[in-house]
Amino acid sequence: MSSKEYTPVSTDNNTGLQPTRVFLNSRREAIVIFGAWFVALCWSVPYCYINGYGQKVDPEALSTIMGIPSWLFGGILLPWIVADLFTIWVCFFYMKDDKLGRAGDEENYDQPAVKMAETEGDAA
Amino acid sequence: MSGLQLTLLAQADSGNAVLWTFLIYMVGVFAIAGLSNRLLQGRSFLSEYFLGSRGLGVWAFALTLAATSSSGGSFMGFPSKIYTHGWSLGLWIGSYMVVPICVMGLLGKRINEVARTADAITIPDVLRDRFRSISFGLISVSLIVFFMTFNLIAQFKGGSTILKTLLGPIDAFTSTAASLPDWIGNLSSEGNEYLVCLVVFGVAVIVYTTYGGFHAVVWTDVMQGIVMVVGVLIMLPLAINQAGAVAKTNKGAGLEQVTRRMAKMVPPRKGTGTIKTVEPGADVTVPSGSWIFLGDGDDQRLFKIKDRSDLTSSEPIQTKTEIWEIVSPDDISQVRQRLESGSEPSNVTGQVTLEIEELRDYAYGAKPEQAGSYVTGPGPEREKADGFLPLSLAISFFFMWAISGTGQPSNMVRLMAFRDTVTLRRSIFTVALYYSAIYFPLVIIFCCARVLMPGMESEPDRIMPQMAIELTSNIGMGWLAGLLIAAPFAAVMSTVDSFLLMISSALVRDIYQRNVNPKAHEKNIKTLTYLITLVAGLGALFGAMNPPEFLQDIIVYTGSGLAACFLAAVVYALYWPRSNAQGCIAAMVSGFSAHLSMYLVGFLQGNGFSPYRLFDMDPIIIGLTTSFVVGYGVTILTPPPPRDLVEKYFYKRSL
Repeated sequence: MSSKEYTPVSTDNNTGLQPTRVFLNSRREAIVIFGAWFVALCWSVPYCYINGYGQKVDPEALSTIMGIPSWLFGGILLPWIVADLFTIWVCFFYMKDDKLGRAGDEENYDQPAVKMAETEGDAA
Repeated sequence: MSGLQLTLLAQADSGNAVLWTFLIYMVGVFAIAGLSNRLLQGRSFLSEYFLGSRGLGVWAFALTLAATSSSGGSFMGFPSKIYTHGWSLGLWIGSYMVVPICVMGLLGKRINEVARTADAITIPDVLRDRFRSISFGLISVSLIVFFMTFNLIAQFKGGSTILKTLLGPIDAFTSTAASLPDWIGNLSSEGNEYLVCLVVFGVAVIVYTTYGGFHAVVWTDVMQGIVMVVGVLIMLPLAINQAGAVAKTNKGAGLEQVTRRMAKMVPPRKGTGTIKTVEPGADVTVPSGSWIFLGDGDDQRLFKIKDRSDLTSSEPIQTKTEIWEIVSPDDISQVRQRLESGSEPSNVTGQVTLEIEELRDYAYGAKPEQAGSYVTGPGPEREKADGFLPLSLAISFFFMWAISGTGQPSNMVRLMAFRDTVTLRRSIFTVALYYSAIYFPLVIIFCCARVLMPGMESEPDRIMPQMAIELTSNIGMGWLAGLLIAAPFAAVMSTVDSFLLMISSALVRDIYQRNVNPKAHEKNIKTLTYLITLVAGLGALFGAMNPPEFLQDIIVYTGSGLAACFLAAVVYALYWPRSNAQGCIAAMVSGFSAHLSMYLVGFLQGNGFSPYRLFDMDPIIIGLTTSFVVGYGVTILTPPPPRDLVEKYFYKRSL
């Protein structure tokens, strides 16, 4: 392996390097978001399948909530509302504001000041 | 004034409204393009033209992403599926609950940072610079151009078909199309009306995209996004009120009555028949969508004749016409009422006779033990005995919308354009509300359409404009139909302009500037950019004049294929410091190959463009899994990337 090839870098090996805040924060946030997708999958599909699939329906006895078949209300609409609440939490309470850097083509462009809640070293 | 006259008047009003809405809409689009072109002055041309100078704010960023993702399918194909398969479409579209946060949140912040670090303007730019690999850049450009070209032709056809549907009832349009010389009409295999719509649609999109660049695309997307959501929010209460009044079941009110009526519905039968004039020598015109009753009393049966027939004394028989038998008693009763009120103008009972040659029940949903198929899963399905949405497909669609959407380069490039993380956070929230206001309400609206307008299975793609006309003319506001009908047109336009810019950016930036002439003067780049955008657009327009078969399947193939190619490579590039060019190229190529092989196997099995479903799963799952696994394996078996490259994109020097 040549000396120029990548070796894992950490902050405690006296290299003076540490992972960027955006990398650490966005990776952490991506894991939470992917987890939310997985939870949605694990709730919605089995719930709908168990409660709403392949059943002979008596129109008079059909269970509905607000006019929507109850299997779809519990399997999709209710989690949709929960997902929107989760999105609000992620957007306004969980996701960090980070400086994204400046590209060469932005020399004449002033990026609006981003109020940083934490210093660079507090990431993750 | 008879009911029939009232209906024709309402349709004429709606037709004029569509025409006026269309003209006002086009004026707005060109005004935006003009303003956008002024923004190009005094800025870095390529960055502004292809990326809006990385300065998109909340509304622009949120709505351009939302509108681009909502192609014409959202407002034409999706409503027709809801109408055809019922409430199970709620599960089909269910993963849209997490689509905004997945598509924008999984990659957004990080890809924006890496693009700024690399000075990248396009996705191939990002990959090339992130791995310092010219070959990786060229492979990704090739794949984008390959997929986008097919998709663009398909979308051009989709846009023209929608416009044809919208303008179809307008006399000025049909007479103009009919008066075209033969040599012009012969340019297209799809007929004169299609050709006129293609030219109008294509030239409009090409001109405003070429002239205004990214900002024109973004701000027209904003306008189109607003049109879409306003259209849905107006239709929702109208649909529930009017369908609830028609349903009149014993229990509940409004939407509950609609659902209970749907629970009693049995899917129609499709078949073929022969129609003949009753009186020998009489000339009879049977308009498309005509109704005919056969038999008397309790045995009376109701059929819809799909295509128009002109029966004359020399040709008194029309053979092999497509027919649909309505079998639900409530639906028959509703059609009868609509015929009496003039809402359904053509009843040819007594003028022609119908001899049934073949009639087939739906493969799923018609049997007594499958009663209530419109309100339960997997939903009625005409061809497949396991229903519309079996469990494996329900899982696949959770991948398809959220994960495949994340892997679309057209979405990724927008993630490179937002201004800062505050914009990103607020935009995710905005798009989440936007999708919540559109997708589930669409399911409700077009479930109501089943009750209001039985028999639309014969021409399901017309359900959106027909429903808009029905809802607005019932409240005496036919002019409002113009706004509602503009929604699908807006949706397809906002998708086409983005794809057009993707192709031209790939050719100008990734091929010409990065590989052929890196020192090209900005003036030359500018001229070339306009030229390439124009030529790419015109190429797609000519390609769409005689479009290939299986267009809808091509759209699905290209969408999922792009995700299979790009998602794993980009995720590794952004989040895995150990990733290298070999691993990510392998991820891209293997994803492409695995996904394509599912389609090839399907083709070899004689299924046309329908893919082989390994383990009953959609090819997107096979492609993504292969791409992630192969990418990981090749990465750890090949040398690590250069240290300076990793430091540039993942580390910073502490003070």
